[in-house]
Amino acid sequence: MKFATASLQLLVLWMTACQAPDIPPAREYSDDLVEEGKRLIAQAPRQDKNLWRLRVGLIALKQNQPAEAKALFDAAMPSAGQILQADASTRMAQSLFAPENVKGFHGEPYERAMGWFYRGLLYWIDGEPDNARACFRTAQLMDALAEKQQYRADWVLLDYLDGFISTKLGQDGSTALERARTHADGTVLPDYNSKANTILFLQTGFGPVKKSGGDVGEALVYDGGHSDVARVRVTVAGQTVEAPIYDNLTTQASTRGSRAMDLVLARKANVKKIGDTVGDVGTVPGVVLVEHDETRDAGLALLGVGLVGKFIGNSVEPRADTRTWNNLPQHLSFAALQLPVGEHTATVEFLNASGAALPDRQKSVLLTVQADRDTVVLVADR
Amino acid sequence: MKNASTAIVATALLGFVACTNVNSPNGPSVTELRPDERGFVAGLGIESQDLVTISDKMARGILGAEPIANAQGKPVIVLEPINNETRFPIDKDIFLTRIRVSLSGNANGKIQFVAREHIDKLEAERDRKLAGQVTGGEKVKGNEFRGADFILTGTFKAISSRGNAGASDYVLYTFQLIDPDNSDIIWEGFHEIKKQGRDDVTYR
Repeated sequence: MKFATASLQLLVLWMTACQAPDIPPAREYSDDLVEEGKRLIAQAPRQDKNLWRLRVGLIALKQNQPAEAKALFDAAMPSAGQILQADASTRMAQSLFAPENVKGFHGEPYERAMGWFYRGLLYWIDGEPDNARACFRTAQLMDALAEKQQYRADWVLLDYLDGFISTKLGQDGSTALERARTHADGTVLPDYNSKANTILFLQTGFGPVKKSGGDVGEALVYDGGHSDVARVRVTVAGQTVEAPIYDNLTTQASTRGSRAMDLVLARKANVKKIGDTVGDVGTVPGVVLVEHDETRDAGLALLGVGLVGKFIGNSVEPRADTRTWNNLPQHLSFAALQLPVGEHTATVEFLNASGAALPDRQKSVLLTVQADRDTVVLVADR
Repeated sequence: MKNASTAIVATALLGFVACTNVNSPNGPSVTELRPDERGFVAGLGIESQDLVTISDKMARGILGAEPIANAQGKPVIVLEPINNETRFPIDKDIFLTRIRVSLSGNANGKIQFVAREHIDKLEAERDRKLAGQVTGGEKVKGNEFRGADFILTGTFKAISSRGNAGASDYVLYTFQLIDPDNSDIIWEGFHEIKKQGRDDVTYR
């Protein structure tokens, strides 16, 4: 009997042990932002993956991991000639009962332009300046959708780089330089040095952020970005160059004007507002009329119409897509130098409007200048 | 009854197979296409069907060019990278490689290409032979790397526009066979393609 009891206890203990909860080990976070970013990409909903790829791709680029950045940008961006076609998610985004952000993320024109800008930078790092120029041209074309003529394809740096690379390749870059100077709005752009072999892409501050506007969130508006940098000074190998600000991303984002999608969202907003109004007009009087026998039928009908209106008003989703590539900078700048082959340490100082260097932003960059290709680096103040 | 059931099942299977269009994204997840066929993800850029059409056309043109067709011996052709002035990043070697392969396949040994792009490795191998590090040095008699009788190169130019009505890209592909001794263009061929398209309204 004792043996049977002991056996039973052992069996119960064994079964209880087997039922012990499976406690997963605490998650380990690495210090590698790119690795962590990849984890976020994997976890992101399908329609947001491109957004996360762009964010992480830029982090990889800033951390001098061009191969990682290239892979992420390639995965995030459609090819230069690809037409963004309708699919189930875009049809849903147009429907009354889903918000715009159910569609796959490809960004607004300023974000698409920045994607091609960084892709061009990566081609240049790889020693393919003509493919870099192709990317800068595609980037400029992304901005051709602006509503007003004067804001179409008006990125200064993209035209400047187009002409600069053409000049370096022994072609005529003067037309592109002239376009850049026309759009520079008083900023003095330096002449090209076709022998420059060290290319510094400079960026400062925080870029714009999208938010919803309008009566029911149907409009896309921008919170402006910020940068207190007015010029960038680069000192290396006895040379000092002061680079002006070429482009402001908040300006580029906010001069895009209305989108074709805005008409779809406006239609949704109208349906929502009409539904809400019918709901308000029908529900309260309907409840009052139902109280009295002689008006009960009319009250019930009005209440029914009101409730249907409320239901429709509450179900319609006119919200604009406010997903933002939120680690873009506010300002773009650029400097090109001619340096002897070998290693050089450059000091990059970010200057405020009064010309004083911002002490917490100074960067030291190691440049390895090679004989057979340009040395291309991205330096950000944040 | 059994025959009727079999017939219904067979008809259903046939209908299912017939409705599966290999060119549709709703069909099989992977579809093999001929490289000269326009796929369902076609865009405005430079694509495989353009590559095949253009390289075949240029190869025919080069073979018919008088200095090649009536050449004494085998003219040596060196490929120089394409000058890409379009807005499309491309692998610049792929067009010339495709033309070279097409020419090699159709020229019946009338043309000689040289692997100039591997010159560093070839020089290193020759030097190893001459130094006796590897066998074959006795066969090397001075510099035997061939110079070019002709240089084949090309330029791609484009006119691109974009607006709310859509996007349009016209690309002009030109190829030249150049005599390096006097810079004469002994043959020139071109192909032009214009494509238009429009993004879905949700992306405009």
